[in-house]
Amino acid sequence: MKRTHRRSTARHLASACLALLCVAEMAAAHAWSLTVIAGSRRLFLHVGNGTVSGTGGGELNGALGTNGIVNTVQVSVPVAQLGNGTALAMTSNSTQNTSLWGDGNNTCPAAGSQVMVGAGFRRNSGANSATLSVSSPANLTNAAGDTIPFTQISWTVSAPGSNNVNAIPAGTFIGGTQTLATLPGNTYYENCHTFSYANSAVRAAGTYTGTVTYTLTAP
Amino acid sequence: MTACRRLLLTVLGTLVAGAVQANPHRLDDSLSHTVPPNVQMQWLPLTRGQPSANGMEAWVRVNIRIDTRNWIGRSGRIYMVLPHDQASGIEAVWTTQGRLQAGRLVSGERTLVFAGTIPGATMEDQLQVRLRSTADWTSSSRRLNFYFELDAD
Repeated sequence: MKRTHRRSTARHLASACLALLCVAEMAAAHAWSLTVIAGSRRLFLHVGNGTVSGTGGGELNGALGTNGIVNTVQVSVPVAQLGNGTALAMTSNSTQNTSLWGDGNNTCPAAGSQVMVGAGFRRNSGANSATLSVSSPANLTNAAGDTIPFTQISWTVSAPGSNNVNAIPAGTFIGGTQTLATLPGNTYYENCHTFSYANSAVRAAGTYTGTVTYTLTAP
Repeated sequence: MTACRRLLLTVLGTLVAGAVQANPHRLDDSLSHTVPPNVQMQWLPLTRGQPSANGMEAWVRVNIRIDTRNWIGRSGRIYMVLPHDQASGIEAVWTTQGRLQAGRLVSGERTLVFAGTIPGATMEDQLQVRLRSTADWTSSSRRLNFYFELDAD
């Protein structure tokens, strides 16, 4: 009987030690932890009048949406200069001169003849880039159905205070979709576009219109 | 006592002794919790003139409650640890209410938060933690498992 009792005590002791070790091991697993979610992918594009996204500075943390503003660039060709091949500067109804990056920089000091174009892309991992493109129809048209090729319209770029003036380069519309710039992740490009009409041929009288659409896409 | 029982007790004795003597000692802070329980990183501003910047940050409050009942009156140093969870590092910078020390920690390292004699059965504080990282994670979310460990004198 005595012998049996000693065995039982030793077994209980061993069990208690094992239990203590298990408790100690369980305790070791406890710690404070939390799940952290990466910043959201964000695309931001403005052409002409726009709105700073959120708090500015390229966080692009504003509410999702579009502001719906479509600006107009135009030129009236004087009769004496019709089709003489001398390019004519176009004016803009955009009033956006301060940067939509949000630091108040006067990026487009002559807003009446410029259109500010800016694009931003934020993403976490990966090497993917965003693509800024512009699509133009083949022609501007008037009410009578006369046309002027969109290739008659070009633009130069400027960006006072920037060390990347040509981030979005100068060019000429091609009457189709053309790529303007490729934005690596977590970059913001912005500059001012000054448009001109080539005026290389005499056109039928009328008001010719056409709409170009800028698009920023990311995979 | 049979040889088998002697061996068992020797092994248990060694394990217990090892648990008592070896530094560091993992501390139980299972009653700690974060507010909010999950957090989303926000983009940091891009710097004008800098071609690319990709920082993110988040803020979280952590109510800390460390079980120190087994160490009352003992002298030592308590560290907060953040193990590596992926190649992209996380930086944590925090302030406290005073019981623990403010500090900075990057993943894969540990930082001293207390040195001295363990005063009681629990050690409580509230941390305001700023988490920062670059945008090169291998996943869209990650679990950060902080813990505390004690180097006893």
